[in-house]
Amino acid sequence: MRHYVIAGVLVIVLAVATYAGLMGIHLMPVEASAQSIPIDHLWNIEIAIISFLFALIMVPLIYSLIVFRRRKGDASDGEHIEGNNTLEITWTVIPLITVLVLAYIGTYTLGDVLAVDPSALEINVTARQWSWQFNYPQGFSSKELHLPVNRQVVLDMESTDVIHSFWVPQFRIKQDVLPGRITTYRITPILIGNYTVMCAQLCGTSHSYMTAPVIVSSQADYDTWIQTQVAAAAAAAQTPLGRGQQLVAQNGCTSCHSIDGSSTGIAPTWKGLYQSQVKLNNGTTVTADEAYLTESIVNPSAKIVNGFQDNVMPKTFGTTLTQSQISDIVTYIESLK
Amino acid sequence: MEHANKSDVLRQGVIVFVFLALLTALEFFVAVQIGATVLLALIAFVKVGLVMYYYMHIYRLNLQDQDLDRHSDQYKLGTSRIGLWLFLLSDAFIFGGLFVSRFNLLGLGPLPLSPDSQFIAVTITSVLLLSSFFMNRAEVSMEHGDRRGFIVGISLTILLGLAFLAGVVVVEWPSAISAGVTPSSNAAGAVFFVMTGMHAFHVLTGVIFLSIVLRNGSRGLYSAEKHWAVESAAVYWHFVDVVWIFFYPALYLIGKLI
Amino acid sequence: MKKILTSALVRGLLWQFTGWIVGALFLTGIRVLMGLNAFATGGYFFTEPAWVFGALVGALSYVGSTGAMTDWFRWAKGEEVPEHREDPPGWEKYLNVSLDHKVIGVQYTATALFLLCVGGIFALIFRTELAHSGLQFLTLQEYNTFMSLHGIVMIVGILLGVAGLMNYLTPMLIGAQDMAFPRLNAFSYWVAPPAAILLLSTLVFGGFDTGWTGYPPLSERAPLGMQMFFLGVAVAGWASILGGLNLLATVLRMRAKGMTAFRMPIFVWAAIATSLISTTATQLIGLSFQMVMFQRLFGMGFFDSDKGGNPILFQHLFWFYSHPAVYVFVLPGLGIISELVPVFVRKPLFGYRFVAMSSLGIALVGFLVWAHHMFVSGMNPYLRIPFMFSTLLVAVPTGVKFFSWIATIWKGKIEMPTPMLFVVGGIVVFLLGGLSGPPNATVATDLHLQNTYWIVGHFHDTMFGGYIFPFFASIYYWFPKVTGRKMDERLGKLHFWMMTPSFLALTLLMMRVGLLGMRRRVADYDPALGFDNYHLVMTIGAYLIALSVLIFLYNLVVSIKRGEAAAGNVWNSRSPEWQVPSPMPVHNYDRPFEVIGEPYDYGLPGSVYVKFDDKKSKSH
Repeated sequence: MRHYVIAGVLVIVLAVATYAGLMGIHLMPVEASAQSIPIDHLWNIEIAIISFLFALIMVPLIYSLIVFRRRKGDASDGEHIEGNNTLEITWTVIPLITVLVLAYIGTYTLGDVLAVDPSALEINVTARQWSWQFNYPQGFSSKELHLPVNRQVVLDMESTDVIHSFWVPQFRIKQDVLPGRITTYRITPILIGNYTVMCAQLCGTSHSYMTAPVIVSSQADYDTWIQTQVAAAAAAAQTPLGRGQQLVAQNGCTSCHSIDGSSTGIAPTWKGLYQSQVKLNNGTTVTADEAYLTESIVNPSAKIVNGFQDNVMPKTFGTTLTQSQISDIVTYIESLK
Repeated sequence: MEHANKSDVLRQGVIVFVFLALLTALEFFVAVQIGATVLLALIAFVKVGLVMYYYMHIYRLNLQDQDLDRHSDQYKLGTSRIGLWLFLLSDAFIFGGLFVSRFNLLGLGPLPLSPDSQFIAVTITSVLLLSSFFMNRAEVSMEHGDRRGFIVGISLTILLGLAFLAGVVVVEWPSAISAGVTPSSNAAGAVFFVMTGMHAFHVLTGVIFLSIVLRNGSRGLYSAEKHWAVESAAVYWHFVDVVWIFFYPALYLIGKLI
Repeated sequence: MKKILTSALVRGLLWQFTGWIVGALFLTGIRVLMGLNAFATGGYFFTEPAWVFGALVGALSYVGSTGAMTDWFRWAKGEEVPEHREDPPGWEKYLNVSLDHKVIGVQYTATALFLLCVGGIFALIFRTELAHSGLQFLTLQEYNTFMSLHGIVMIVGILLGVAGLMNYLTPMLIGAQDMAFPRLNAFSYWVAPPAAILLLSTLVFGGFDTGWTGYPPLSERAPLGMQMFFLGVAVAGWASILGGLNLLATVLRMRAKGMTAFRMPIFVWAAIATSLISTTATQLIGLSFQMVMFQRLFGMGFFDSDKGGNPILFQHLFWFYSHPAVYVFVLPGLGIISELVPVFVRKPLFGYRFVAMSSLGIALVGFLVWAHHMFVSGMNPYLRIPFMFSTLLVAVPTGVKFFSWIATIWKGKIEMPTPMLFVVGGIVVFLLGGLSGPPNATVATDLHLQNTYWIVGHFHDTMFGGYIFPFFASIYYWFPKVTGRKMDERLGKLHFWMMTPSFLALTLLMMRVGLLGMRRRVADYDPALGFDNYHLVMTIGAYLIALSVLIFLYNLVVSIKRGEAAAGNVWNSRSPEWQVPSPMPVHNYDRPFEVIGEPYDYGLPGSVYVKFDDKKSKSH
């Protein structure tokens, strides 16, 4: 009898200690979204259950291994206890009830997380290998996601190539982004600060680096940023160079082609490219003139630079971009000396 | 082992075949006049039930042979039966996966196949059902020691099997392709070719299996008491027919309401 | 040396290579006749279809050349084939086709250990890269391939190890001379080496960058190595399917007299549950991979949204197998735990019938939970709640096992030689794996956890606890039955105490960084996340685990020749295989036995489980 009492007390002690320990080491990142609150609440319930079950199994196990160790000279067997139907039913029914309760809590938690605000701000997101593009309703594109605090935002997301996934740990939720259909992501940031969205579905070579800044600011700062972006887009739209720069940002070119001469390992740098001598993988050398740059965009497989691979650059720009857009991009590349 | 009268069993095989033929005709009628997918499913299940009971004799799995000597041929026959049915259960999962894919990709809508395809499909379905009929006759003949009946039956089965293959590969596939349904055209084309292709591959392996059994049977290797090769080839052949009983309406009949 | 070079194992390699080239040439010839290009532009000389067809021909050539299919060809030709075949004495039988389930079991186990080591080396390579943020020596593509190969090589290693346990033990435990279909058993083993070659060949075909899950559209545009991966998994799958089929037939038909369902050793129940899954569900991973292969080879747009296809369909088909698969991985190990605990605590297995039913319960419910891998996939949102409920339900039969183990151990008379250390280690590690499950089951929390290192920690705990630890326990435990010698106790304890804390540190830290923002399958991570120290400790843990495995391997190899002699019932077990001498006699039981008592009636004076028939003797 005393074994049960001691073990019982130890279970309670270990459960409480485990729970306190786990809660004390800040397992989760900061709660930066309204949705993170019900999620963390459910998580904490689960930590409590885990702590209890951990203790419930570990204590009798370790206790037994110490107290019921075979004594020297004792060659007898243990007690012939085959089972106990009441106990079996108990430890089937109670866990069953527990998981059903947990599932119920999980259901309404999910409902809380997915709650829709009809006046949510809508932003379109395009994911591609290996960059994020945020298209604002005001008609401009950005490589950074700016959001106003305390306002629900719904992101309509689509991929141009493979499956990606949108995740900000501090927001908690993630959502896969697919080609050929739109998936939605609703979030209400509640903490001003700088975060990072990371692609959370293996999407090829540079999956590790497919990130983008997420800036949550006050409504006023957000509005200012919008106005600045709109103005910059309007100004840029005046010149081929400005338009080209915008198009490059929108189409994620710099996730593979650097503009500062650094090597990404995926694609040639654009710095100093125009009018330079380029060695191809078939041994010949060509001049990177305007015709070369244009061809490289619409038909990437025509000429492969030595040291790089075919079938990495998307082949669709010839159809998704107009001739004048391509010409603007080429103008921009030419400007990078 | 029951020794029912051979002509009684053969007659039973004929009656089953007549039912299968009538159900196939009913199926076609339901598809074009009523368009109720649920009814089509029901008819398919009835056809499968008939084949699994009367042709594949699934009830023989109720072995009741625990008291036999484990090393006897009779006991080992029971073990082989269980092995064969487990194999068919496993194989069924591939076809199940393809079946599910058809509905996930195309919903309850029809495949964009031409009226020619419908005619070809009804023909090859009849050919396959007829082949099962002759397979049953071949097996029943062997069970009653009638080697000639066995040879005739299994030869006809092989010929009809080859006819089915020709019907799919030489007639139906080119017809579909000329109607614009190709493996790479779209999801419907992909589904059509992978389902008919996987099934045809199993018909081909069945024909090879049957040819081996025909050859060995002609050389007198099997008897009424010992013919597991014949029984297993027959059961496998009927299984391939069962798959088609589901695939035919899934590919050709659903959504074809006129 | 000559015996090795002329063995089926080595002969097969030459035939696989030859068949590969011949098949590729053949398909290239067909392409030429069809007016298509004969060779590939840039890269690998032959076109992708040629390499894939060649790979299939090569794998079949390997199996054919071993002789594992010869008897079937002879039957087809109408020849008489003797039912039994005696193996030559000596070690060469392990390198050639044997019909003896004990030899096949050892072959499976040895191949499994080899693959587990290869998979472990891949892990060491990329764990070294991950020890510090920034890319030190791997390129991104190399990382993706090593990480992907680590996953699939480990999985296939586990499948083969499971086959090893089930094939070696089951006939012995039920009193049979061999499995129901010995030739099928041999064939099932001999597809494994060519499958392993196919998987490893991905390294020379440009690797693959999708992880072992192979999702399209990424897998559609991955390098040629992707196809070798798909084919390798499909071929390995045959072993799983046919092995499971064989096991079910064996247990249904070949049990000893008096061995009713609830008088079987508990491991047999686990084997049944495992085989029900492996015989059926495995076909779905074959199918899903075949469909991507066809997408690549023939342009069939199953999963291509441009053609009306659905990438999520792949995930449904794939996970319909791959979730039940994890129960294939762990049910045998959990069965081993249930089997060995009574022996080392000298008490009956508590609630034997409930434990037996729990294996079936886990297998059944395990078929109904697959979409919990897809909560964030964009699938129909209404599916999420039902799958949350079904997933949480799996905890109930799993809990029954844990409670039974504790109730068995409580108030026993406990001894802790190395096998029992690994059993207890398995219980503790699997507990952590199981407890880290429910947060993944509840959708809302899974939205944060999915695709992070939390998941990686969860499945490493479940895999090690449910398989690796019981696998080691089994080897230490049954080594005397195979060889007639014991493995060294001190080295065994060193193995355990080096592996276990390292592994716990590794997986607990995985869970920690995962929660804080560490994504899985990344070659590099932002130093600003502050994970560098955690990763360094994880890498050190990985190396310590590897070192402990080296100690184990040394122990294993040396003990074969120099281990302490152990011919009798070393563990004083009631199980039938320990009532006959070690090494196990060739035909297992020359005198058949009858079951006259319960398997785990320790503590019941005068109780006997099996009684051998002194009069009858089987002669072959």
